[in-house]
Amino acid sequence: MKYTIPILFALSLFLGKGSDCFWDKWAPLRYQKTLERAPEFYVLEWKEGASLSPKTSDMYIEVDTLGNQEILVLSDKRDNPVLYTSEIVTPVCADGECKMMNIQLYWTLLGEYAGFDRYPELPLTKHDHDEFGKEDYLKLHDLLKDDKSILGRRSINQLVEKPTMRTVNGVDALSGATIAEVKESVVSGALYSCYTAWHLVHGKIDKKLKKHTLGILNETMLMDMLYSKNPDYQLFALEKLNVSQYEDHYLQIATIFKTGIPLVRSIIAKELPSKFKSSPELEKPFWDAFGVIDLGSRSLLLKHLEDAPQFAVLTVSDKLSALSKNQLKRFLEYISQQDLTPEVQSNMEAFANSDNETYGYLVQEFLSNHN
Amino acid sequence: MIMKYGMTSLLLVLLSLGCYAQEVLVEAESFDNPGGWMVDPQFEQQMGSPYLLAHGIGVPVENATTKVHFESMGEYHIWVRTKNWVPGNWEAPGRFQLAVDGKKLAKILGLRSGWGWEYVDKVAISTQSIDLELVDLTGFDGRVDAIYFSMINEPPPSAPKPLETWRKTIKAEPNIPPTIKTYDLVIVGGGIAGCAASIAAAEQGLEVALVHDRPVLGGNASEEIRVHTLGIYGNFERILRKLDTEHYPNGSADAKLDQKKRDDNVKSYKNIDLFLNHRAYDAKAENNIIQYVDARHTSTGERIRFKAPRYVDSTGDGWIGFWAGAEFSYGRESVDTYGEGWEEHGELWSPKEPDNAVMGSSVLWGSKEIDAVQVFPEVPWAMPVAREYARVAGEWQWEYSSPDMHQIDDAEEIRDHMLRAIYGSFANAKKDTVNANRKLEWVSSLVGKRESRRLVGDHIFTFNDAKEGRKFPDGVVIEIREVDIHYQTVLEDEKNPDFISEALFYKTPEYYIPYRSLYSKNIKNLFMAGRNFSCSHAGLGGPRVMRTTGQMGAAVGFAAALCKKYDVNPREIYTGYLDEYLALIEEQKFEKIPETKK
Repeated sequence: MKYTIPILFALSLFLGKGSDCFWDKWAPLRYQKTLERAPEFYVLEWKEGASLSPKTSDMYIEVDTLGNQEILVLSDKRDNPVLYTSEIVTPVCADGECKMMNIQLYWTLLGEYAGFDRYPELPLTKHDHDEFGKEDYLKLHDLLKDDKSILGRRSINQLVEKPTMRTVNGVDALSGATIAEVKESVVSGALYSCYTAWHLVHGKIDKKLKKHTLGILNETMLMDMLYSKNPDYQLFALEKLNVSQYEDHYLQIATIFKTGIPLVRSIIAKELPSKFKSSPELEKPFWDAFGVIDLGSRSLLLKHLEDAPQFAVLTVSDKLSALSKNQLKRFLEYISQQDLTPEVQSNMEAFANSDNETYGYLVQEFLSNHN
Repeated sequence: MIMKYGMTSLLLVLLSLGCYAQEVLVEAESFDNPGGWMVDPQFEQQMGSPYLLAHGIGVPVENATTKVHFESMGEYHIWVRTKNWVPGNWEAPGRFQLAVDGKKLAKILGLRSGWGWEYVDKVAISTQSIDLELVDLTGFDGRVDAIYFSMINEPPPSAPKPLETWRKTIKAEPNIPPTIKTYDLVIVGGGIAGCAASIAAAEQGLEVALVHDRPVLGGNASEEIRVHTLGIYGNFERILRKLDTEHYPNGSADAKLDQKKRDDNVKSYKNIDLFLNHRAYDAKAENNIIQYVDARHTSTGERIRFKAPRYVDSTGDGWIGFWAGAEFSYGRESVDTYGEGWEEHGELWSPKEPDNAVMGSSVLWGSKEIDAVQVFPEVPWAMPVAREYARVAGEWQWEYSSPDMHQIDDAEEIRDHMLRAIYGSFANAKKDTVNANRKLEWVSSLVGKRESRRLVGDHIFTFNDAKEGRKFPDGVVIEIREVDIHYQTVLEDEKNPDFISEALFYKTPEYYIPYRSLYSKNIKNLFMAGRNFSCSHAGLGGPRVMRTTGQMGAAVGFAAALCKKYDVNPREIYTGYLDEYLALIEEQKFEKIPETKK
């Protein structure tokens, strides 16, 4: 039933205008050009001078009643895949009225959303036929970046229905918060287009693409991911690195630790002792980052004090201002069993005697007991 | 000597240089009239006592007043046990003063970091009874645990253990509570699970004690926290309809409508003895059998020992099990422990290495438009948390969890972090002229917890049990609600506020929780219901909502009835009386035919 309107729409175009005319206007713009600039809306970093050549693959994305559309692999000059792309043409139907949506989508090698290009001559339109403005495209980009959007777990009907108050043994009604969340995240007047685009980007295709990548993964691709700023690539690479690769690239991993998102940091922090078991001196740049990383990662790092090399205590003692009360207690508890070096002692005294330290009194108490 | 007016005091007569010395301890929660200050017993296990909180959401609250009696006249030093809840380079937010016989003492209080005694002044006491007042200066959550008068210039101990001992000594409090009450079933925790357990057991004729540390029932669903109930009724629609809520937005004042229904329904059972405002503080097991649970009134301090052949831990934090020595877990299991991974969300769903990350606690709040311009004070102490975030209300996403914080040990800090988030975000929103007439209407002072200790039963319910819709011979709870696990959005972007969460939803088929997840593995006479039932971290993701926990409670209440009938412990219901138990539950699906219509 749900396909009736788009089928009729497609047929009407096809029969009314003749097949040639129809495909001239609506058929995918066969992608044959080399991509030499970043897609207009893009989440990854674009390497200066990059040139990505399209290649066919045996993968298709199921778009709608018009059928499957081809997935192309975009590879760099070394012939390593960098992106997946597809030129999407699909009807978007609302209240019995259909329009075509033309958009070129890009995915990362892990099947995540990478960006899109619009077709200036075939702009996206809203329900009232107004064309998308730049702000609208940006909002769509933001929506597509959100792989956990509420659009992923609600049917379009649920999203347009009015909420009901009571839930009884079944459907979880939409709360006011949910409605606000939807409103906030979609382009005003273009719920159906947003919904369609989101489901194309985050539908079943992601697993296929990732599987494809796993089948062709080589060390160059892995290193490209490790040296990328994309958190998903970083996580993937960190997971795949063997011990010697981890050690060889410890400086890059330390850079990620300093500049990456807290989730990636937390994994690096948790694994620190196990990854550098045979070369604990390589932990130094990680402990040196202690003062600049987030609160949660600091807590995870502090759990490893027992296994950390000597320099860790000195490093932390120099950054006591960065510690929360619990972290400070944890640190003091650990060093209460240790002989303090003069440098550590000096750092702690400076902290304890400062007028600006909220928890200076804890260190004062500690020093008076420890001494 | 315990004095009247609810105040605790002791006369210590010490012959010293020919003088009499006296000391008087006034517990703040026992003030004759707390005025606008509210009794906050949530963190007793962490900081030692219920306390008074000046939760005026930015408007100073009315004075708390009490009479204090002295045996000896003379000069007394005064200390107040308090804390500056946001120490830093700003004026402390929770400042207050003391007034004696209507005269304010000059010292501004609420300035010290961490709970401890702040010296106030030396005053001459020339009458046997004085009027003591707490004068709030800010409306921003000043707090007072106790006031201590002593002729000797020596503050009481501050460290937790010595303070506890000192308190017991000065109150001359024997270990055994003066009142002992015996029941068929003692249920601790009056959230939806505890209420449902009480009703189910009472309907089967058991004499039930329901011990709850708040003035109203419902826990997270109460008007004090205002989370709507989710999930299905399963086998227990009749009972759960007496307790649940409409699907109002979380934080909505509509929560009050269901409060009366719930309280009236529970109170309508003559064989449920309801002990509101009683917080359990100890449970003792011998040979893995709980002998008693001790509770204390959150204001008067009056203590009761509850004895029963069986107990239900529906405290949410698994306190009864914890005190009794029940096995429990906390935090996230590694992905390999039970194979609970979801590749799409990787570490956010189930970590490679186990950790202490759990779903966080919420503090809900709201504001309203009114006719006149409303001013909200500057809150510089809130800004390091709120940063640029600007909002006029909070929903379930307002949630805090951090590897730095334990949901039980650090619950007060978590609540306070959320208060800073709320006040700061509202102050930011007020900078927008569109909010000129907006007034902060309500901010909960209670932490609405999602996850804490999970007591271990004979079966540990996991995500896989839900995902696969695994059937159990003793499946007594039924649910279809998707599993959702929260994480802090700051994990994905440091620019996000650290108090906002996101949920990962996994759509499951209908799933079942076995009865074996509802009693302790090693404490023989302990049931559990609510979020502290036997499950893994990911297993909790679905059934933590309150119609589901209500089902657990009802299932436990009916099991307790059979335990009494056959004089057996919870496990034996599974091993020996399962058919009868399941039949009893099956009966609950149908309205009973009235005798007159048979």
